[in-house]
Amino acid sequence: MLSLPDRLTLEPGKVIGLVGPPGFGLTRVGMSMLADSSRTGPVVYLDVRGWVNPLTAWEAGIPPERLIIVRCFDRLLWPKATAALLEGIRAVYAEVPPGVRESVLRRLAALARSRRSALLLHPLSGDLPAGVAYVRYQGREVAWEGPDAGHGRLTGRRLVLEASGKGMSGIERVIEVEDDGADVVRMVSRLAAAPAGRAAG
Amino acid sequence: MVDKTATPRVVAFNQPAREAGVRLGMRRPEAEVLCPGGTTLEQDHATESLTFEPVAAAVEELIPRVEVADPGLLFVPIDGALRYYGGEQALVAVLSRAIEEAAGVGGRIGVAGGPFAARWAAEVAGEEPLIVEDDRQFLASLDVEVLGREELVATFRWLGIGTLGELASLPRPAMLSRFGTAGLHAHRLASGEDRPLEPRGLPEDPSVMERFEEPLVLLEQVGFAARALSHRLMEAMAESGVAPHRVEVSAQAADGTERTRVWRSADPFTDETLAERVWWQLRAWNESAGIPGGIVQLTLAPADLSGEGRQLTLLEDVSARIEAERAVARVQALLGPDAVMEGRLQGGRDPIEQVRWHRWGEVPPPLERDPGAPWPGSTPGPSPALVPPEPQLLEVEWDGGMPSRVRLRSRWEPVLNWAGPWRKLGRWWQDEPQVDRYQVVTSAGALLCELRNEQMFVIGVYD
Repeated sequence: MLSLPDRLTLEPGKVIGLVGPPGFGLTRVGMSMLADSSRTGPVVYLDVRGWVNPLTAWEAGIPPERLIIVRCFDRLLWPKATAALLEGIRAVYAEVPPGVRESVLRRLAALARSRRSALLLHPLSGDLPAGVAYVRYQGREVAWEGPDAGHGRLTGRRLVLEASGKGMSGIERVIEVEDDGADVVRMVSRLAAAPAGRAAG
Repeated sequence: MVDKTATPRVVAFNQPAREAGVRLGMRRPEAEVLCPGGTTLEQDHATESLTFEPVAAAVEELIPRVEVADPGLLFVPIDGALRYYGGEQALVAVLSRAIEEAAGVGGRIGVAGGPFAARWAAEVAGEEPLIVEDDRQFLASLDVEVLGREELVATFRWLGIGTLGELASLPRPAMLSRFGTAGLHAHRLASGEDRPLEPRGLPEDPSVMERFEEPLVLLEQVGFAARALSHRLMEAMAESGVAPHRVEVSAQAADGTERTRVWRSADPFTDETLAERVWWQLRAWNESAGIPGGIVQLTLAPADLSGEGRQLTLLEDVSARIEAERAVARVQALLGPDAVMEGRLQGGRDPIEQVRWHRWGEVPPPLERDPGAPWPGSTPGPSPALVPPEPQLLEVEWDGGMPSRVRLRSRWEPVLNWAGPWRKLGRWWQDEPQVDRYQVVTSAGALLCELRNEQMFVIGVYD
């Protein structure tokens, strides 16, 4: 059976893709991946909408003094800014604005590999080109816990992700992630492999 | 007065010399030609420090947190004092009088938004203090020489850049790519953005202290103690990969008198520069009878760390930090200073209120709201990962007082569940409307919303 880590983490020189529509909880999953890297140096969140809330990152375990938020609203400057960050930052979470060319993403992936920087790519719409991400996590389902017809409050979520890519040895896996909002995001189970016929990206 | 280098340059001069055309940095023969009847002295920092001590003490009587940069030059933050003395004019009048009483005439005062502009405002000022309204505008006419980096200045001149205004008008990304961080720093200074880099607090008390059984009275003893203690402090800090920009020197006299003075430096202190300044300070106190009966205890405490002195953890290595700072500086130059931000947790009822933002590389501003206060009515955690800068209008269908559908972009999504409302009363005495907040779960995600004046707004997305 394919060996998976108990937690979702980043590796130097590897590109991780987070794919899914807004509201799936992928931002927080990405933040929790950054948290490990923040123990050894600053980490950067490249925000293309100006919406990211650092409170979530701090809750995920990134110390405030280690989190730098870079806001880049110009799609044309986005590749340059990302490349400049990869030159010196060990872990970068980059929202990918719509319309970024495939060749740009491939060049950035190559730069991350050569600089041994971990790069998390989260396209705001669409998907990543095949082969760019070492592991690509696609949000499949999300279940929210807490609210009950006006009572209670949001306390957590269970997120089902489909993991694929070279880092998964080409085999798609479906994993379930639990997020209680106050601690690290944990992988709680490794479900069966996805049905045959769905090729790894 | 000239320095003690092989090619002596002017470091200080009096008013007649100024009127004759003598300027800082001028070569000795050149200055002597302009003032044929003048007397040239060689610089003696210890004596200068002794002479300057009454000025520092007089200013400190009026405004706390005096920082001495060199004997003859001190900085003092005046934000708080402005309110107390009733404005800049009143404050500088009080300061002028105090300095005149302490050291006679000839003191100069400059007031500006940052230390660099204030320092050159004092230089430009005559007998009357100079209050700078717009740092950038004031600096624009100054020669690039004031930057003080010879090689960089020579290159600027070769490129036809003669004033800080010309330098500031160049695009910052171009400066960074051509001259690196030195160019970026020069550009910031020229643009009137010389706010200090973020001071980093240390996790535990890093100060070093030495008690002496026999009070130190002789200058040689004091000098030895200054060197030894400075070395101890720098050695301890080097182990953590840090270096201070400001150091508080405290001495206790045999009769219980305590003296404290903060020294600051634009570059991080080294073993040698720190020892030198501690020695100047102790000698000044010693010779001005500020330490009756001799020194019985000496303490050095780094007031903050910045720039090269950023705090490192055990897992962090220095080269990685330098690389990281360089990369972020490059992005800041590319996207602008407001594009690279850091945040601090503060109090507040809404997620957007709970983050105090500041530009990367600048001193974090004071918190606006106490994070330790209870904040009744604040949104319960976990926090939404996305918070729009302005609340976004959300169309909602209600069914019997309960939300049933919301419109996200062009699609209507059914509400799967919701929590709330939590009522936020707001500042009713300022006519702020009361709002009800909901957590709404849809098939396309969970939202934090507020209902205000019968309209629903999204104030957070749980992504």
